[in-house]
Amino acid sequence: MSTETEGVDLVGDEMAGNLARAALFAALMGAFAYVSFPNPLSTVPVTLQVLGVFLAGILLGPIWGAAAMVLYLAAGAVGAPVFAGGTGGIGPLLGFTAGYLWSYPLAAALVGGVVHRGLSLRDPKAASLVRLVGAMVLGTVVIYALGTVGFALVQNVGLYEAFLASAVAFIPIEAIKIAAAVGIVRSDAVTAA
Amino acid sequence: MVVLAYEPGDSLAHGLDPRTKLAVQVAFAAAAFAHTTPRGLVALTALVALLLAGAATSPVGAAIAFRFALPFLIVAPILEGIVLGPPWFAVAEAAAPALASYRVLLILLVSAAYVRTTPVRESEAAIGQLVPGRPGRALAVGIALVFRFLPVLQRDLSTVRAAMHARLGTERPLRERMRIVATGGLNRAFARADRLSLALRARCFAWNPTLPALALSARDLPALALAAALAVWAAM
Repeated sequence: MSTETEGVDLVGDEMAGNLARAALFAALMGAFAYVSFPNPLSTVPVTLQVLGVFLAGILLGPIWGAAAMVLYLAAGAVGAPVFAGGTGGIGPLLGFTAGYLWSYPLAAALVGGVVHRGLSLRDPKAASLVRLVGAMVLGTVVIYALGTVGFALVQNVGLYEAFLASAVAFIPIEAIKIAAAVGIVRSDAVTAA
Repeated sequence: MVVLAYEPGDSLAHGLDPRTKLAVQVAFAAAAFAHTTPRGLVALTALVALLLAGAATSPVGAAIAFRFALPFLIVAPILEGIVLGPPWFAVAEAAAPALASYRVLLILLVSAAYVRTTPVRESEAAIGQLVPGRPGRALAVGIALVFRFLPVLQRDLSTVRAAMHARLGTERPLRERMRIVATGGLNRAFARADRLSLALRARCFAWNPTLPALALSARDLPALALAAALAVWAAM
């Protein structure tokens, strides 16, 4: 690699702000992986990660929300302990969690695209309840569909068994996360949007 | 090793270029997916033992770091083997998923060796090189920021939880608890992002910084040859 000897190519103000927000959101996703609540349906506790995917799309919009998720996965790939249970490395991205993890950028872009009605940002508080909930239901479908297919392919089991092992105990909790996300977006508690 | 993280050392793997180690990991995963047979996995297990020894990483410690994955790896073959009616469990049905589970464990162990032997700044430089131009630079900066702010936000979230617990928040429904913790975390994260972007601009945040120079050396050749051999074996 050659050292740059020419002038400094400054990053623009808007880009710097968006990159900072996306990076902090990615770090928050990682911190969410450590916040676990007991799951009444399984011995594996639930984390706030999927809530983070919803909120990335709603608060950062489709482009930067997806960018935050890409940063989250990339940081995990090079070893940040940001995946479930405080793990990192390429392993989880190729193992049985692969489908779930790779679905996050897609799901965040989808949720953001539906809530903001396109690529340009609108005030998410102005979005109707139906649109907000519908967007997150779509996001949940994408995450669990890709997650189940990924689990089945990597673990070499049928789709039905993959769904039983990796998804069925967690989907009911997603309804609670959607309700929590609606509460967050519609209150004035979060000042950044 | 309870949480996987870089630890300084002078093992063989510590001296390798991060790009070489990434190539070995990807080729290993490809080979493991292509040869999920008892014979293939025995060969790969021997290779994992060598790789972990070369990275001075204990396999038990690495397995402990990935303990969350173990229930899933065990459940999948059991579910596939269960049959309704005698003999209740079909070993033949469970064999393929059991091999697949073992393959995933091997891939996780190899990635543990990378994480333990590669400092963040080297990974950052490797990504800046592998992904060209501004996207690569943005990705590398973003990754470095995630490493920097992860512990800070973890502390923020535990502060929010402690405050919630002190006010009998544990008695609230799950939805309310999730909302309170996430709101606190978001406000802290966005406040930090505002200050960070101001600080970045004040310090001439540029597209062309000076990162540590990466150079392939003679030590990388055997590892690169291994990656190439694994890739060829995977394609066979």
